[in-house]
Amino acid sequence: MYNEYLPIKAVIEKIVDESPDVKTFTLRPLDKNNCILKYKPGQFMMLSLAGFGEAPFTFASAPRDGVFEISVRKVGSLTGAIHKLKENDIVGIRGPYGNTFPIDKIKGKDLLFVGGGCGMAPLRPLIQHVFKNRKNYGRIEIVYGCRSPKDISYKDEIKTWQANSNTKVHLTVDEPDEDWTGACGVVCILFDKINLALNKTYVFLCGPGIMIKSAIKDILKLGFKENNIYASLERYMKCGIGKCGHCYIKGKYVCLDGPNFSYTKMRELGIDS
Amino acid sequence: MRLLFIAKEDLKILIKNLKRDCDEFISPKKEHLDDIIFTDTKIDGNELLDYEGNSVISPRAFLLPQTEELFKIESVKTCEFVSIIDKKKRIFFGVRPCDIKAIGLMNKFFFDEFIDLFYRERLNQSIFIVLACGRRCATGSFCHLMDTGPIARDSFDLQLIPISRGYLVETGSKKGRQILKNNIRLFAKGTTNDEKEMKDILRQFRKKAKQIDFRRLAKIIENNEVSESIWLDIGLRCVVCSGCVSLCPTCSCFSVVDRLNGDTGIRLRYCDGCPYAGFTRMAGGNIPEPQHKDHIRRFFEHKLNIDVKRYGVSSCVGCARCIQTCPGNINIHDFIRKITNHKSQIPNKSQIPNSNISNKYV
Repeated sequence: MYNEYLPIKAVIEKIVDESPDVKTFTLRPLDKNNCILKYKPGQFMMLSLAGFGEAPFTFASAPRDGVFEISVRKVGSLTGAIHKLKENDIVGIRGPYGNTFPIDKIKGKDLLFVGGGCGMAPLRPLIQHVFKNRKNYGRIEIVYGCRSPKDISYKDEIKTWQANSNTKVHLTVDEPDEDWTGACGVVCILFDKINLALNKTYVFLCGPGIMIKSAIKDILKLGFKENNIYASLERYMKCGIGKCGHCYIKGKYVCLDGPNFSYTKMRELGIDS
Repeated sequence: MRLLFIAKEDLKILIKNLKRDCDEFISPKKEHLDDIIFTDTKIDGNELLDYEGNSVISPRAFLLPQTEELFKIESVKTCEFVSIIDKKKRIFFGVRPCDIKAIGLMNKFFFDEFIDLFYRERLNQSIFIVLACGRRCATGSFCHLMDTGPIARDSFDLQLIPISRGYLVETGSKKGRQILKNNIRLFAKGTTNDEKEMKDILRQFRKKAKQIDFRRLAKIIENNEVSESIWLDIGLRCVVCSGCVSLCPTCSCFSVVDRLNGDTGIRLRYCDGCPYAGFTRMAGGNIPEPQHKDHIRRFFEHKLNIDVKRYGVSSCVGCARCIQTCPGNINIHDFIRKITNHKSQIPNKSQIPNSNISNKYV
């Protein structure tokens, strides 16, 4: 008898301000044997705040000892309330839910990550996992676009990513400030700088719907294989376990069959254009 | 195997016996304006032993209530949550074959991958006694096309098939056989005449049109062969009252909300519906499916295409409640008939007789 809707307790261990509206929370489940800690990159969990409700958040860090991170952008009432939390406060969590990125398939391959805004969070567990086992993978390039330089999350970590061998991180912003020396514009403008083997590269995208669509279009134009493109999608969810019906798209539930879809699957679901 | 027989007087005794071992006896009852509703009649009696047509709301409302507590919030600050499970024993009496088919489909859905504890507990504590239909019901249903009536095939514990001198009885599960065993003196063997009468009922239902081929229907929708003008017309007619999804016996979408009173409270789930514009609205206000015509399309596609692929049968059971309630005259029967070129007759709303005609079967 297990009530799937009943969250377990987790304590907030650390809060990092990533940008004016994004905070990263380190959560430690009080029950350290709970299955939530056995999550894989790409999966998500439901975070509860009594009185404000519950919402899905992807894990934003690779699995490590007894804790995980989530990044939360302040957009609504629940996320607003989460932003007001302090260290050592208690929240409700349950999970892990959803499918994972195809971790087994990408061994020995080149990897391209395309993130927009807080869309970097779902990709981060996989990026961390890949860098932890760096020698198992080929060339890695990360394209990250944000509204403005101050919106760039994980700034210090990006520097450590860049320090890896055979790795390149491209950054771009829509609205540069005076100190910004990098590229300006949407993520797609950086695609001609990519130097990866077309037929053995896996592409992972996450960001606003409009960015995913236009980025996939340009990636396909470059000649990357349709089957090797994966996007992490976002939908409104109330249960995370395929019952509430909110995340339903053409017979698939984003919470069960996703949130990670290959481009081929996305086309079947009619969410490519 | 010959079916058993029970006389009307003996059925009354059976009901009396059954009421002793349950907390709620959910059965059809006549309300004002002669509406049939399912309600607990354990104490006041007045359950109908046979009735014309079907209930206004399907008995799924007792398995997936309009609002339901997921757990108690004992402390907001420390996230102290305690789950509450409904342990009431219920006997559902007089459920129509289309509605029991719907419950059978809901069972598949709620046991798929993650098990919904609340639904499972209710189901395990429930006994379903189906009352088969003696004639086409007055609500314009099309169960004979969807293969869900007039006699149920599965998902019931006990089935009563009305004939002129009483009821034929069929068991469908261990629970049903146990009821039979406990009350064996009330039952007799059915005669060949009784069975002939039953077969006549079936023939009466099925002679007019042949069943819908679900696979073909699903394929037509899958391959986008339904013209855009049909979807557009449906979208224009929908006034987003969500009557269809509220009455549909296989609709199960819900939303979740917290209700607080100081530092304590409850988390509730309540029935929700895909026609609402905000059904897919995400934090920040983005709606991935903004167009109104897509909402009813999603409802139709789910019932007639997706569930056929998933469970082998359509999850439209042909009860016609959505047709009856729709102020914009959206008609799923008409839709099915149109896209499959099916020859069945659609009763005009004005031709559907009043439901308070005599309660005689056959």
